[in-house]
Amino acid sequence: MILFENVGFRYGRGPEVLQGLNLEIPAGSFQFLTGASGAGKSSLLKMLYLDEKPTSGRISLFGRDVTTLTRDEIAWFRRRIGVVFQDFRLLDHLTAAENVALPLTVAGARESAYRDNVAEMLQWVGLGDKMSVRPPELSGGEKQRVAIARAVVASPDIILADEPTGSVDPEMAERIMSLFMEMNRLGKTILFASHDLAMIERFKMPIMSLHDGTISATAGARA
Amino acid sequence: MSAGGRKSGLIPFEAASGFLMLLIVAAMSFLACFALAGSLGTTRVANSWTDGLAGAATVRISAGEEDRARRVSLALDILRETPGVLDARPLSEADVAQLLTPWFGSTPQIGELPTPSIITVKLDPDMEPDPEIVQARLDGASSGAVYDDHGRWRNRAASAARAVGGLSLWALGFAVLAIAAVVYLVVSIAMAAHKNTISALRLAGAEDRFVAGVYQKRFFWLGLLGGLLGAVLALVAFLGMDALSSVTSALPGIEPPAYWPFVMGAVVLSAGLVALLSARVAVLTTLRRRA
Ligand SMILES: Nc1ncnc2c1ncn2[C@@H]1O[C@H](COP(=O)(O)OP(=O)(O)O)[C@@H](O)[C@H]1O
Ligand SMILES: [Mg+2]
Repeated sequence: MILFENVGFRYGRGPEVLQGLNLEIPAGSFQFLTGASGAGKSSLLKMLYLDEKPTSGRISLFGRDVTTLTRDEIAWFRRRIGVVFQDFRLLDHLTAAENVALPLTVAGARESAYRDNVAEMLQWVGLGDKMSVRPPELSGGEKQRVAIARAVVASPDIILADEPTGSVDPEMAERIMSLFMEMNRLGKTILFASHDLAMIERFKMPIMSLHDGTISATAGARA
Repeated sequence: MSAGGRKSGLIPFEAASGFLMLLIVAAMSFLACFALAGSLGTTRVANSWTDGLAGAATVRISAGEEDRARRVSLALDILRETPGVLDARPLSEADVAQLLTPWFGSTPQIGELPTPSIITVKLDPDMEPDPEIVQARLDGASSGAVYDDHGRWRNRAASAARAVGGLSLWALGFAVLAIAAVVYLVVSIAMAAHKNTISALRLAGAEDRFVAGVYQKRFFWLGLLGGLLGAVLALVAFLGMDALSSVTSALPGIEPPAYWPFVMGAVVLSAGLVALLSARVAVLTTLRRRA
């Protein structure tokens, strides 16, 4: 599903952020990605949601070399990938429901066709009563749950998470973690980046550590 | 939730920049209506003038010539034998005097003025004779007659009409260019202002043409509205001009033709379409440049 072969990455003419990276993430797996701040976790995820291209080596996604994708193909691939960010990245001028519906709207679906699906998603994350509230009036934990609902509403195959618990209190972090576990149980492939080793170690899932631009250690086994 | 299915609300748009561009599109549509009116109007006026002059010629034998009666009948004989001439007849002195009235006034002494003899010639419009050949034949008989098929006037009228038509085309081109440019500018500014929203849409799986669609739709309607505003103002201005009926009676053919509403409709629709196309180009180039 996700395959890195000797991948190197840098921003423009900057220093190597990632180098000689090899990794394979099979479909349906749950993989934590850890490493100090600045280790390159976000950069690795950016390449997976096709915002950056590897400078060297090869990344295969759904069996395709990502550097060969056209702009339209990138858009179609992104519909099979859900992303959750530390800073939520919700659209403040849209309601919670409209934010959740975004991946469906941009794919051309009609509101009448997905209304129930969106409502169900918001109920699943515990925000069934906040459908028409806009993000500025939501708490951090609520925003992140809207973002999670948005990430899964279009039934993607892969869910990428970049420090999704970084901006919420520990109790909410727990709740958010359980949502990811549930998505994995439903068959989603999950790559979850966090620098908070103490927190992720409790979940008994495989952990990769990024250090000096490459994977330095893998630990843990599938529970 | 109500707006969830509507594309238009996905990317916010500042009403102020919409209003600004509305004004410019309205001004350009106004200009385009006038350019088209100018071009169509002059063509019609020129046509009515040249149509009036076509099929007719005059032969003049100047007052100074000796033996004018003989020369006139000689010229008449030559003309009547010329292929393409349907009819040739001399004007009476009274007719000539009447022609000269605007210049000399209707004074009884006009008969004492040295007036030329004039022959009016009716030509077959489908095979007008070559004026040089006719002149050569008249000269050959040393009739002293001067043949004039008004060709110079017709050419001048036609080239004046062409010149005005050309200018109108330029004005029209500039109007289209100005609409395209202002839309491109406003779209670029709007996209820069909502860069994060657009990248959120892209990240959610929006194709470029989806983003373009949001702007295209919005600017098509804005273009249409601006175009309509300009056309209505132009119409009001035309009607005001029509009130100066002296103008229309002096220049027959300048009054708006029956198909004029369609021309205005085409201007309005074109404003919308130009805005749509320019918005599309602006979005696609901006997104590609950003990637
Ligand atoms: N947009 C960028 N342009 C240039 N350098 C960047 C950019 N984003 C991150 N970096 C650099 O790349 C390195 C890895 O950053 P990042 O992938 O964000 O690490 P992490 O997510 O593990 O904290 C850092 O040294 C950071 O300064
Ligand atoms: Mg990071």
